[in-house]
Amino acid sequence: MEGIGIFYYFYAMRTLRQDLVLRKVGDDYIMVDPGQGMVDLSKVHTLNETAAWLWENLTGKDVTVERVAGLLCERFEVTQERATSDALALIREFEVAGLFEA
Amino acid sequence: MKINPRTTLTSLFYEIAGLQLELRLSPTVNVDMLLPSFTGFRINVANDRIPAATVTLLESEPPEENEMGVLRSDISVVWGDNFRFYERENTFVTQIKHPVKEMQWVMESTRDFKESVIYGNAKDPRMGELVSWLLMVVFGQAGLQYQLILIHASVIAHRAEHGVAFLGKSGTGKSTHSKLWLQHIPETALLNDDNPAVRIEDNDQVFIYGTPWSGKTPCYKNSKVELKAFVRLEQAPYNRFTKQENMHSLIAVLPSCTAIRWNKTLFQTMTNTLSRIVGKVMVGQLECLPDAQAAYMSSKAVFGSKAAGHTGEN
Repeated sequence: MEGIGIFYYFYAMRTLRQDLVLRKVGDDYIMVDPGQGMVDLSKVHTLNETAAWLWENLTGKDVTVERVAGLLCERFEVTQERATSDALALIREFEVAGLFEA
Repeated sequence: MKINPRTTLTSLFYEIAGLQLELRLSPTVNVDMLLPSFTGFRINVANDRIPAATVTLLESEPPEENEMGVLRSDISVVWGDNFRFYERENTFVTQIKHPVKEMQWVMESTRDFKESVIYGNAKDPRMGELVSWLLMVVFGQAGLQYQLILIHASVIAHRAEHGVAFLGKSGTGKSTHSKLWLQHIPETALLNDDNPAVRIEDNDQVFIYGTPWSGKTPCYKNSKVELKAFVRLEQAPYNRFTKQENMHSLIAVLPSCTAIRWNKTLFQTMTNTLSRIVGKVMVGQLECLPDAQAAYMSSKAVFGSKAAGHTGEN
Protein backbone atom coordinates (compact mmCIF):
# COMPACT_ATOMS: atom_id res chain seq x y z
CA MET A 1 0.00 0.00 0.00
CA GLU A 2 2.68 2.44 1.10
CA GLY A 3 4.72 1.72 -1.99
CA ILE A 4 1.79 2.32 -4.30
CA GLY A 5 1.01 5.54 -2.43
CA ILE A 6 4.51 6.88 -2.86
CA PHE A 7 4.51 5.90 -6.48
CA TYR A 8 1.25 7.71 -7.08
CA TYR A 9 2.19 10.89 -5.27
CA PHE A 10 5.61 10.96 -6.79
CA TYR A 11 4.29 11.00 -10.32
CA ALA A 12 1.13 13.02 -9.94
CA MET A 13 1.58 16.68 -10.90
CA ARG A 14 -0.05 18.95 -8.43
CA THR A 15 0.24 22.60 -7.50
CA LEU A 16 -1.07 24.61 -4.58
CA ARG A 17 -4.25 26.57 -5.18
CA GLN A 18 -3.30 30.06 -6.29
CA ASP A 19 -6.48 31.64 -4.96
CA LEU A 20 -5.65 30.85 -1.35
CA VAL A 21 -3.66 33.49 0.46
CA LEU A 22 -1.61 32.53 3.49
CA ARG A 23 -1.88 35.09 6.27
CA LYS A 24 -0.47 35.44 9.73
CA VAL A 25 -3.09 36.53 12.25
CA GLY A 26 -1.46 37.00 15.62
CA ASP A 27 0.46 33.79 16.14
CA ASP A 28 -1.60 31.72 13.72
CA TYR A 29 -1.22 30.97 10.03
CA ILE A 30 -4.53 30.80 8.25
CA MET A 31 -6.09 30.75 4.79
CA VAL A 32 -9.67 31.83 4.23
CA ASP A 33 -11.33 29.72 1.55
CA PRO A 34 -14.51 31.39 0.28
CA GLY A 35 -17.13 28.78 -0.63
CA GLN A 36 -18.33 29.19 -4.21
CA GLY A 37 -21.71 27.48 -3.95
CA MET A 38 -25.14 28.98 -3.33
CA VAL A 39 -24.89 28.25 0.37
CA ASP A 40 -22.03 29.90 2.18
CA LEU A 41 -19.67 27.09 3.17
CA SER A 42 -16.60 29.24 3.58
CA LYS A 43 -13.73 27.60 5.44
CA VAL A 44 -10.72 28.75 7.38
CA HIS A 45 -7.67 26.49 7.05
CA THR A 46 -5.10 26.66 9.81
CA LEU A 47 -1.48 25.73 9.25
CA ASN A 48 1.30 25.20 11.75
CA GLU A 49 4.59 26.99 11.27
CA THR A 50 6.19 24.19 9.27
CA ALA A 51 3.20 23.76 6.98
CA ALA A 52 3.10 27.53 6.45
CA TRP A 53 6.80 27.58 5.60
CA LEU A 54 6.29 24.70 3.19
CA TRP A 55 3.31 26.49 1.63
CA GLU A 56 5.45 29.54 0.91
CA ASN A 57 8.22 27.45 -0.56
CA LEU A 58 5.95 25.28 -2.67
CA THR A 59 3.87 28.07 -4.19
CA GLY A 60 3.87 27.86 -7.98
CA LYS A 61 5.82 24.59 -8.06
CA ASP A 62 4.86 20.99 -8.65
CA VAL A 63 4.34 19.53 -5.22
CA THR A 64 6.03 16.15 -5.12
CA VAL A 65 7.04 13.95 -2.21
CA GLU A 66 10.60 14.37 -3.34
CA ARG A 67 10.43 18.17 -3.27
CA VAL A 68 8.62 18.34 0.08
CA ALA A 69 11.02 15.82 1.64
CA GLY A 70 13.94 17.82 0.28
CA LEU A 71 12.62 20.98 1.93
CA LEU A 72 12.09 19.17 5.22
CA CYS A 73 15.67 17.85 5.14
CA GLU A 74 16.92 21.39 4.48
CA ARG A 75 15.12 22.82 7.47
CA PHE A 76 15.22 20.02 10.02
CA GLU A 77 17.76 17.42 11.00
CA VAL A 78 15.77 14.44 9.84
CA THR A 79 16.56 11.28 7.95
CA GLN A 80 15.56 10.95 4.32
CA GLU A 81 13.16 8.21 5.38
CA ARG A 82 11.40 10.27 8.02
CA ALA A 83 11.21 13.30 5.70
CA THR A 84 9.66 11.15 2.98
CA SER A 85 6.94 9.75 5.20
CA ASP A 86 6.19 13.21 6.63
CA ALA A 87 6.05 14.64 3.13
CA LEU A 88 3.60 11.97 2.09
CA ALA A 89 1.42 12.63 5.13
CA LEU A 90 1.43 16.36 4.42
CA ILE A 91 0.48 15.93 0.77
CA ARG A 92 -2.37 13.64 1.77
CA GLU A 93 -3.61 16.17 4.29
CA PHE A 94 -3.46 18.99 1.75
CA GLU A 95 -5.30 16.74 -0.68
CA VAL A 96 -8.11 16.02 1.80
CA ALA A 97 -8.42 19.71 2.67
CA GLY A 98 -8.72 20.55 -1.04
CA LEU A 99 -5.66 22.80 -1.15
CA PHE A 100 -4.41 21.68 -4.58
CA GLU A 101 -5.55 23.08 -7.90
CA ALA A 102 -8.31 20.97 -9.39
CA MET B 1 -42.09 58.66 -23.15
CA LYS B 2 -38.46 57.61 -23.30
CA ILE B 3 -35.91 59.65 -21.44
CA ASN B 4 -32.50 59.98 -22.96
CA PRO B 5 -30.20 59.37 -20.02
CA ARG B 6 -27.24 61.17 -21.53
CA THR B 7 -28.84 64.57 -21.59
CA THR B 8 -31.14 64.58 -18.59
CA LEU B 9 -29.33 62.99 -15.66
CA THR B 10 -27.89 65.02 -12.82
CA SER B 11 -25.21 63.91 -10.39
CA LEU B 12 -25.55 63.96 -6.63
CA PHE B 13 -22.66 63.24 -4.31
CA TYR B 14 -22.59 61.57 -0.93
CA GLU B 15 -19.71 61.05 1.43
CA ILE B 16 -19.99 57.92 3.55
CA ALA B 17 -17.14 56.81 5.80
CA GLY B 18 -14.87 59.20 3.92
CA LEU B 19 -15.70 57.69 0.53
CA GLN B 20 -17.60 59.45 -2.19
CA LEU B 21 -20.58 57.88 -3.84
CA GLU B 22 -21.96 59.46 -7.00
CA LEU B 23 -25.63 58.95 -7.78
CA ARG B 24 -26.79 59.92 -11.28
CA LEU B 25 -30.52 60.22 -11.74
CA SER B 26 -33.30 62.19 -13.33
CA PRO B 27 -33.59 65.75 -11.93
CA THR B 28 -37.34 65.20 -11.52
CA VAL B 29 -36.71 62.85 -8.60
CA ASN B 30 -36.87 64.46 -5.17
CA VAL B 31 -33.89 62.67 -3.75
CA ASP B 32 -34.28 63.78 -0.14
CA MET B 33 -37.81 62.36 -0.19
CA LEU B 34 -36.63 59.20 -1.91
CA LEU B 35 -33.57 58.61 0.30
CA PRO B 36 -34.19 60.43 3.59
CA SER B 37 -31.52 58.44 5.45
CA PHE B 38 -28.90 59.77 3.01
CA THR B 39 -29.67 63.46 3.58
CA GLY B 40 -27.01 63.90 6.26
CA PHE B 41 -24.39 62.44 3.93
CA ARG B 42 -24.96 64.78 0.96
CA ILE B 43 -22.07 66.90 -0.17
CA ASN B 44 -22.56 69.75 -2.57
CA VAL B 45 -20.00 69.18 -5.23
CA ALA B 46 -17.47 66.52 -5.90
CA ASN B 47 -14.05 67.71 -4.83
CA ASP B 48 -11.01 66.58 -6.74
CA ARG B 49 -11.32 63.01 -5.53
CA ILE B 50 -12.68 60.35 -7.82
CA PRO B 51 -15.87 58.75 -6.46
CA ALA B 52 -15.37 55.26 -5.02
CA ALA B 53 -18.50 54.24 -6.90
CA THR B 54 -20.90 55.69 -9.43
CA VAL B 55 -24.48 54.48 -9.60
CA THR B 56 -26.84 55.50 -12.41
CA LEU B 57 -30.55 55.19 -11.85
CA LEU B 58 -32.55 54.68 -15.02
CA GLU B 59 -36.32 54.68 -15.01
CA SER B 60 -36.58 52.02 -17.65
CA GLU B 61 -36.63 48.29 -18.11
CA PRO B 62 -33.27 46.53 -18.26
CA PRO B 63 -31.96 45.62 -21.68
CA GLU B 64 -33.16 42.21 -22.81
CA GLU B 65 -30.58 39.50 -22.22
CA ASN B 66 -30.68 35.96 -23.50
CA GLU B 67 -29.55 34.71 -20.14
CA MET B 68 -29.02 36.29 -16.74
CA GLY B 69 -25.68 34.55 -16.17
CA VAL B 70 -24.61 32.05 -13.51
CA LEU B 71 -26.93 32.13 -10.52
CA ARG B 72 -24.68 32.71 -7.51
CA SER B 73 -27.14 33.37 -4.71
CA ASP B 74 -30.83 33.51 -3.97
CA ILE B 75 -30.49 34.10 -0.24
CA SER B 76 -31.45 37.46 1.20
CA VAL B 77 -32.88 38.23 4.61
CA VAL B 78 -34.43 41.47 3.33
CA TRP B 79 -35.95 40.28 0.04
CA GLY B 80 -36.63 36.61 0.76
CA ASP B 81 -37.47 34.56 -2.30
CA ASN B 82 -37.40 37.59 -4.61
CA PHE B 83 -33.65 38.07 -4.53
CA ARG B 84 -31.28 36.78 -7.22
CA PHE B 85 -27.58 37.44 -7.72
CA TYR B 86 -25.96 36.46 -11.01
CA GLU B 87 -22.42 36.49 -12.31
CA ARG B 88 -21.90 37.33 -15.97
CA GLU B 89 -18.66 37.44 -17.89
CA ASN B 90 -17.69 40.96 -16.84
CA THR B 91 -20.47 42.01 -14.52
CA PHE B 92 -22.57 41.06 -11.53
CA VAL B 93 -26.36 41.36 -11.66
CA THR B 94 -28.52 41.94 -8.60
CA GLN B 95 -32.20 41.32 -9.20
CA ILE B 96 -35.27 41.92 -7.04
CA LYS B 97 -38.00 39.93 -8.67
CA HIS B 98 -41.70 40.73 -8.71
CA PRO B 99 -44.65 38.85 -10.22
CA VAL B 100 -45.44 42.00 -12.20
CA LYS B 101 -42.62 42.48 -14.69
CA GLU B 102 -42.74 46.29 -14.50
CA MET B 103 -42.06 46.10 -10.77
CA GLN B 104 -38.80 44.19 -11.19
CA TRP B 105 -35.58 45.91 -10.23
CA VAL B 106 -32.24 45.03 -11.75
CA MET B 107 -28.78 46.37 -11.06
CA GLU B 108 -25.81 45.55 -13.23
CA SER B 109 -22.38 46.28 -11.76
CA THR B 110 -18.81 46.01 -12.99
CA ARG B 111 -16.84 43.30 -11.22
CA ASP B 112 -15.28 45.84 -8.83
CA PHE B 113 -18.66 47.59 -8.27
CA LYS B 114 -17.18 50.95 -9.25
CA GLU B 115 -19.89 51.44 -11.89
CA SER B 116 -23.47 50.27 -11.57
CA VAL B 117 -26.72 50.89 -13.41
CA ILE B 118 -30.05 50.40 -11.68
CA TYR B 119 -33.12 49.79 -13.83
CA GLY B 120 -36.47 50.31 -12.14
CA ASN B 121 -39.89 51.89 -12.19
CA ALA B 122 -40.20 55.28 -10.49
CA LYS B 123 -43.89 54.55 -9.77
CA ASP B 124 -42.92 51.65 -7.52
CA PRO B 125 -43.71 52.68 -3.93
CA ARG B 126 -40.73 50.59 -2.76
CA MET B 127 -38.33 52.67 -4.85
CA GLY B 128 -36.60 54.42 -1.94
CA GLU B 129 -36.12 51.23 0.02
CA LEU B 130 -34.86 49.41 -3.08
CA VAL B 131 -32.41 52.10 -4.17
CA SER B 132 -31.08 52.47 -0.62
CA TRP B 133 -30.50 48.73 -0.37
CA LEU B 134 -28.84 48.53 -3.81
CA LEU B 135 -26.55 51.43 -2.88
CA MET B 136 -25.58 49.46 0.21
CA VAL B 137 -24.67 46.46 -1.96
CA VAL B 138 -22.49 48.74 -4.10
CA PHE B 139 -20.87 50.55 -1.19
CA GLY B 140 -20.06 47.31 0.64
CA GLN B 141 -18.10 45.99 -2.34
CA ALA B 142 -16.63 49.20 -3.78
CA GLY B 143 -15.39 50.21 -0.31
CA LEU B 144 -13.21 47.11 0.03
CA GLN B 145 -10.47 48.67 -2.12
CA TYR B 146 -10.26 51.55 0.36
CA GLN B 147 -9.61 49.33 3.41
CA LEU B 148 -13.26 49.70 4.33
CA ILE B 149 -15.58 46.89 5.37
CA LEU B 150 -19.32 47.24 5.78
CA ILE B 151 -20.28 45.05 8.70
CA HIS B 152 -23.50 43.71 10.17
CA ALA B 153 -23.46 45.08 13.69
CA SER B 154 -25.03 47.35 16.26
CA VAL B 155 -22.55 49.98 17.45
CA ILE B 156 -22.39 52.24 20.44
CA ALA B 157 -20.14 55.25 20.85
CA HIS B 158 -18.70 55.86 24.30
CA ARG B 159 -17.96 59.49 25.23
CA ALA B 160 -18.28 60.27 21.49
CA GLU B 161 -14.76 58.93 21.28
CA HIS B 162 -14.65 55.14 21.22
CA GLY B 163 -16.85 52.60 19.48
CA VAL B 164 -17.86 49.05 20.36
CA ALA B 165 -19.48 46.88 17.67
CA PHE B 166 -21.80 44.07 18.69
CA LEU B 167 -21.93 41.19 16.24
CA GLY B 168 -24.12 38.13 15.99
CA LYS B 169 -26.64 36.34 13.85
CA SER B 170 -30.01 38.01 13.27
CA GLY B 171 -32.12 37.67 16.37
CA THR B 172 -29.17 37.21 18.75
CA GLY B 173 -29.84 40.50 20.48
CA LYS B 174 -27.33 42.99 19.05
CA SER B 175 -29.78 45.89 19.28
CA THR B 176 -30.92 44.72 22.71
CA HIS B 177 -27.36 44.70 23.99
CA SER B 178 -26.78 48.22 22.61
CA LYS B 179 -29.93 49.40 24.39
CA LEU B 180 -28.65 47.90 27.63
CA TRP B 181 -25.48 49.96 27.27
CA LEU B 182 -27.53 53.12 26.64
CA GLN B 183 -29.52 52.44 29.80
CA HIS B 184 -26.79 51.34 32.17
CA ILE B 185 -23.41 52.61 30.96
CA PRO B 186 -22.89 56.36 31.31
CA GLU B 187 -21.99 58.51 28.30
CA THR B 188 -23.00 56.07 25.59
CA ALA B 189 -24.96 56.77 22.41
CA LEU B 190 -26.06 54.62 19.50
CA LEU B 191 -23.92 55.18 16.39
CA ASN B 192 -25.63 52.70 14.06
CA ASP B 193 -27.91 49.71 14.61
CA ASP B 194 -27.32 47.51 11.58
CA ASN B 195 -24.67 48.36 8.96
CA PRO B 196 -21.78 50.51 10.12
CA ALA B 197 -18.53 50.75 8.15
CA VAL B 198 -15.12 49.91 9.61
CA ARG B 199 -12.05 51.40 8.04
CA ILE B 200 -8.30 51.49 8.61
CA GLU B 201 -7.06 54.99 7.96
CA ASP B 202 -3.67 56.03 6.68
CA ASN B 203 -2.29 56.48 10.20
CA ASP B 204 -3.18 52.82 10.89
CA GLN B 205 -6.00 53.76 13.26
CA VAL B 206 -9.26 51.83 12.98
CA PHE B 207 -12.47 53.86 12.88
CA ILE B 208 -16.11 52.87 12.81
CA TYR B 209 -18.57 55.06 10.93
CA GLY B 210 -22.29 55.65 10.93
CA THR B 211 -23.93 55.12 7.52
CA PRO B 212 -27.32 55.72 5.84
CA TRP B 213 -28.15 52.05 6.53
CA SER B 214 -29.28 51.17 10.03
CA GLY B 215 -31.90 48.43 9.70
CA LYS B 216 -35.18 49.13 11.45
CA THR B 217 -33.72 51.79 13.75
CA PRO B 218 -33.63 55.28 12.20
CA CYS B 219 -30.09 56.16 13.31
CA TYR B 220 -28.22 57.64 10.36
CA LYS B 221 -25.31 59.44 11.94
CA ASN B 222 -22.62 60.89 9.75
CA SER B 223 -19.84 60.54 12.30
CA LYS B 224 -16.99 58.28 13.31
CA VAL B 225 -15.30 57.08 16.46
CA GLU B 226 -12.19 55.01 17.03
CA LEU B 227 -13.14 51.35 17.16
CA LYS B 228 -12.13 49.75 20.47
CA ALA B 229 -13.69 46.31 20.18
CA PHE B 230 -15.80 43.80 18.34
CA VAL B 231 -17.98 41.72 20.65
CA ARG B 232 -19.69 38.65 19.20
CA LEU B 233 -22.87 37.92 21.11
CA GLU B 234 -24.37 34.56 21.81
CA GLN B 235 -27.47 33.91 23.87
CA ALA B 236 -26.80 31.92 27.03
CA PRO B 237 -28.41 31.33 30.43
CA TYR B 238 -25.45 33.18 32.02
CA ASN B 239 -23.03 36.03 31.27
CA ARG B 240 -19.47 35.27 30.28
CA PHE B 241 -16.93 37.30 28.32
CA THR B 242 -14.05 35.55 26.57
CA LYS B 243 -11.31 37.42 24.76
CA GLN B 244 -10.57 36.00 21.31
CA GLU B 245 -6.97 35.93 20.15
CA ASN B 246 -5.07 35.13 16.97
CA MET B 247 -7.11 33.26 14.37
CA HIS B 248 -10.11 33.10 16.71
CA SER B 249 -10.37 36.89 16.54
CA LEU B 250 -10.60 36.76 12.76
CA ILE B 251 -13.07 33.89 12.78
CA ALA B 252 -15.28 35.77 15.24
CA VAL B 253 -15.58 38.83 12.98
CA LEU B 254 -15.43 37.28 9.49
CA PRO B 255 -19.09 36.11 9.28
CA SER B 256 -20.30 39.68 9.93
CA CYS B 257 -18.34 41.19 7.03
CA THR B 258 -19.64 42.03 3.57
CA ALA B 259 -17.71 40.73 0.58
CA ILE B 260 -19.04 38.67 -2.27
CA ARG B 261 -17.39 35.28 -2.39
CA TRP B 262 -17.40 35.09 -6.20
CA ASN B 263 -14.92 37.86 -6.81
CA LYS B 264 -11.67 36.52 -5.40
CA THR B 265 -9.94 39.88 -5.51
CA LEU B 266 -12.63 41.60 -3.47
CA PHE B 267 -12.85 38.72 -1.02
CA GLN B 268 -9.09 38.56 -0.45
CA THR B 269 -8.92 42.34 -0.11
CA MET B 270 -11.57 42.14 2.59
CA THR B 271 -9.72 39.35 4.41
CA ASN B 272 -6.48 41.36 4.21
CA THR B 273 -8.12 44.40 5.75
CA LEU B 274 -9.82 42.33 8.41
CA SER B 275 -6.56 40.59 9.35
CA ARG B 276 -5.02 44.00 9.94
CA ILE B 277 -8.04 45.27 11.87
CA VAL B 278 -8.19 42.35 14.32
CA GLY B 279 -4.51 42.93 15.02
CA LYS B 280 -5.38 46.39 16.34
CA VAL B 281 -8.82 46.03 17.89
CA MET B 282 -9.95 43.85 20.79
CA VAL B 283 -12.19 40.94 19.86
CA GLY B 284 -14.35 39.18 22.42
CA GLN B 285 -17.17 36.74 22.68
CA LEU B 286 -20.01 37.46 25.07
CA GLU B 287 -22.32 34.67 26.03
CA CYS B 288 -25.10 36.64 27.62
CA LEU B 289 -28.53 37.20 29.02
CA PRO B 290 -30.48 40.30 27.97
CA ASP B 291 -29.77 42.02 31.28
CA ALA B 292 -27.85 44.94 32.79
CA GLN B 293 -25.13 42.65 34.10
CA ALA B 294 -24.28 41.66 30.52
CA ALA B 295 -23.74 45.32 29.62
CA TYR B 296 -21.57 45.88 32.71
CA MET B 297 -19.55 42.83 31.82
CA SER B 298 -18.85 43.84 28.21
CA SER B 299 -18.15 47.48 29.11
CA LYS B 300 -15.73 46.38 31.81
CA ALA B 301 -13.97 44.02 29.42
CA VAL B 302 -13.53 46.78 26.83
CA PHE B 303 -12.99 49.92 28.93
CA GLY B 304 -12.07 48.61 32.37
CA SER B 305 -14.21 48.98 35.47
CA LYS B 306 -14.37 52.81 35.48
CA ALA B 307 -16.43 53.13 32.30
CA ALA B 308 -19.19 50.96 33.64
CA GLY B 309 -20.02 53.52 36.32
CA HIS B 310 -20.46 52.82 40.01
CA THR B 311 -23.06 50.10 39.49
CA GLY B 312 -20.65 47.94 37.56
CA GLU B 313 -18.00 47.82 40.23
CA ASN B 314 -19.39 45.16 42.46
